[in-house]
Amino acid sequence: MKIRILRQKVPDSEPYWESFNYDGTTEISVAGILDRLNFGDDIINDLGEKTDRIGWEYSCLQGMCGACAMVINETPALACETFLKNLKGDEVVLRPLRKFPVVHDLIVDRSVIHETLKSTNVYIGEYNPKEKEDHEHQYAVANCLKCGLCLEVCPNYTDGKSFYGAAYANDCYLVKARNREKAGDIRRSYAEHFANSCSKALSCMEVCPMHIPTLSSMAKMNRIIHSGK
Amino acid sequence: MKKVLIIGNGISGMMCAIRCAELGMKVKLIAPGPSEQSQSVMAAGGINAVTESHEEGDSVQCHIEDTLKGGAYLAGSNAVKGLCSDAKEIIHYLERIGTVFSVDEHDRVLLRAFGGQTFKRTHYCGSSTGKHIVSALVMEVRRFEAAGFITRIMRHHFYSALISDGRCCGALFYNEDARELVPVYADALVMATGGQNSLFGKTTGSSRCDGYAVGRLFMQGAALKNLEFIQFHPTTLQTPQKRMLISEAVRGEGGRLFYMDGGQKVFFMEDKYGPGGNLMTRDLISREIVATGRDVFLDISFMDRKAIDSRLPEVRDICAKYRGIDISKEPIPVAPSVHYFMGGLAVHNDHETNITGLYAVGECASIYHGANRLGGNSLLSAMHSGKVAAENIYGKDLCEHADFDNYILAEQESLKKMLGAKSPFAAMHIRDMLSDTMREHMSIVRTAESLSKGVEDVRYYLSVAERIHYDASVSAYINYSLNGILTLALAALTCADARKESRGAHYRSDYPATLDEYRAATIISYNDGDMQVTFDRENVYED
Ligand SMILES: Cc1cc2nc3c(=O)[nH]c(=O)nc-3n(C[C@H](O)[C@H](O)[C@H](O)COP(=O)(O)OP(=O)(O)OC[C@H]3O[C@@H](n4cnc5c(N)ncnc54)[C@H](O)[C@@H]3O)c2cc1C
Ligand code: SF4
Ligand code: FES
Repeated sequence: MKIRILRQKVPDSEPYWESFNYDGTTEISVAGILDRLNFGDDIINDLGEKTDRIGWEYSCLQGMCGACAMVINETPALACETFLKNLKGDEVVLRPLRKFPVVHDLIVDRSVIHETLKSTNVYIGEYNPKEKEDHEHQYAVANCLKCGLCLEVCPNYTDGKSFYGAAYANDCYLVKARNREKAGDIRRSYAEHFANSCSKALSCMEVCPMHIPTLSSMAKMNRIIHSGK
Repeated sequence: MKKVLIIGNGISGMMCAIRCAELGMKVKLIAPGPSEQSQSVMAAGGINAVTESHEEGDSVQCHIEDTLKGGAYLAGSNAVKGLCSDAKEIIHYLERIGTVFSVDEHDRVLLRAFGGQTFKRTHYCGSSTGKHIVSALVMEVRRFEAAGFITRIMRHHFYSALISDGRCCGALFYNEDARELVPVYADALVMATGGQNSLFGKTTGSSRCDGYAVGRLFMQGAALKNLEFIQFHPTTLQTPQKRMLISEAVRGEGGRLFYMDGGQKVFFMEDKYGPGGNLMTRDLISREIVATGRDVFLDISFMDRKAIDSRLPEVRDICAKYRGIDISKEPIPVAPSVHYFMGGLAVHNDHETNITGLYAVGECASIYHGANRLGGNSLLSAMHSGKVAAENIYGKDLCEHADFDNYILAEQESLKKMLGAKSPFAAMHIRDMLSDTMREHMSIVRTAESLSKGVEDVRYYLSVAERIHYDASVSAYINYSLNGILTLALAALTCADARKESRGAHYRSDYPATLDEYRAATIISYNDGDMQVTFDRENVYED
């Protein structure tokens, strides 16, 4: 089996493709394969040449931290949760997430996700919820990994300069739900950076590894917008 | 305005940053990735506290006693008292900042119990308590970022501390973007770098917790404590990428441990300890599994599929996803794996180390858990220690800063040489060899003979590590961190050898008894390559 990887040495260098042969078990995740390729005695590409070890990020290795997000056979996914046995074809193609600046190989800089949340004051402040809270939905939303897969797949998200995407919308909902005093301000940010440009393609929900029901956050945000409060 | 530098942005680092900011101090919170990637997000089971909703009969005093007993009476009673007394306020604080703890249909808090607890006092958020605490703390950090009190910096790895004349004035970092070392000066440095997983290769925890920072600080003069106490979780599942934790809940629901002998299932825990055998403590079960010398399985397949779906969905998913095992039809192959480090930087009750201005919090500090930690107490200690350190830094006088220019230049030069190397040799190979050694010789059952083999191996790796040039295409951090990690491993083996008794998580088959003369913390210090072990019988660290 071939593992084809879009590589890049440093942020401002040219990307290039390099392929590797893999002939082990298919009961293995993409993360497992990258680990095996990297830590043989040498790392050899499919032309038999020695090459640089492959850069990629990981921490939990069990779908809980979002570090290993990348594009696998054209689908944005977590490398540690994508198994060879479930992939079609005899080639696995790996690319870094496209919507973020590449740092090195499969590593991208996703700090923009945190920057936009900070610059628009998406925090609760004083806890002051409505009488009845929707615990179940809040629980689902607070699971967000900030992995960026939803942004990668979103047709409206480009570079996070004006439209901030699903991860943003969900955190806005958390603030609104937990502090009614901030509901108005958050609603304005949400409208400006999300609602006004979202075309409801909803591909974000399909790729989300935590299965966060973003549509439901949107419905709950819209509710206050329309009630005019 | 005091400047505080915090390294590591898991629960303890964030809590410390928030408390510093509340007190009006300026914080730099530095880590390689965002908090969402810290090990703290992996904590599933819960956080212990005796609150208004406690079970009848439970009390803070009882939580204190359980903790001290669980730690085999090595933890300082004042520190543990502070920890357990603060627990209620910690839960309320977490609720105030938006952590949603699980409740029943009448909105009453749900509690569970881990091994070693007299009462149910573990609060939890579904199956991902750590993640939900992290999400709430991240929002609070953001609030203080917006107010200008906290600056979060990512893509930076700890390199070394700036220490002169026993006083710490900041740290050097490897900046991944600039590919160079940069100093950050501060009035106090707080380490919040988590456990030492990488000594053992792939464990249940995060690969980011590698112990390097603790090892390097040790080499710079910081005393370490209780390194021999390492908690093994008895039931973990081997997968091609790591060892996955199989929650205690399986045994709580009636799961049975067995091995096969001539076509017969042998329920060894029940045979030896009676019907409650599968619920014995983590270290005891781990030892019994090793003693079987066989492949051990955990069976829950007799449970109704619906009950599995509602009560053990995470275990069901982990087994299916990573190993293709249907737990409602077949048993789970399990083996013990390293899970938690009770040892780390020795700190006083105010969380300062033996070096002025250098603090440690969370799992990288050793103070509350003695010889063994109770499940649910480490999230509590991560929260509590962050607060305590912040409050003590606030009350401290400041000192003059020394000049580190020459030191920084020299370190920059040596790193540049390392990055310029043209060698295919992967530093990771030595890390792999180290983890083989540690798994073999620093395992669940130890002897003088095996520990001395471990020491011999690690000394050898250390002797070659300095001379080898490493593949510069691997991250610089993996290369330069090797020495600190090896040194820490040697220190841990040395502590384990010095404690000639069995206590808590440290079991010596050549010294199986618990001895009164060892009822004191192990302290190890480093002086130019030499390591010295003492036992803190005077309780120097408990004031
Ligand atoms: C699977 C699992 C389940 C668990 N369940 C529970 C539970 O139910 N209850 C409980 O109480 N405890 C539990 N624990 C333990 C608990 O998760 C940890 O003890 C706790 O989260 C530690 O928090 P921390 O803030 O000390 O460090 P961590 O959250 O580990 O964070 C460490 C930080 O330091 C950074 N860092 C590390 N090295 C460097 C370096 N060289 N330079 C810069 N930064 C660095 C990391 O990137 C990270 O940001 C569990 C652990 C595991 C592995
Ligand atoms: S919403 Fe889902 S896909 Fe988007 S960042 Fe959060 S976890 Fe990732
Ligand atoms: S490494 Fe954490 S999600 Fe893959």
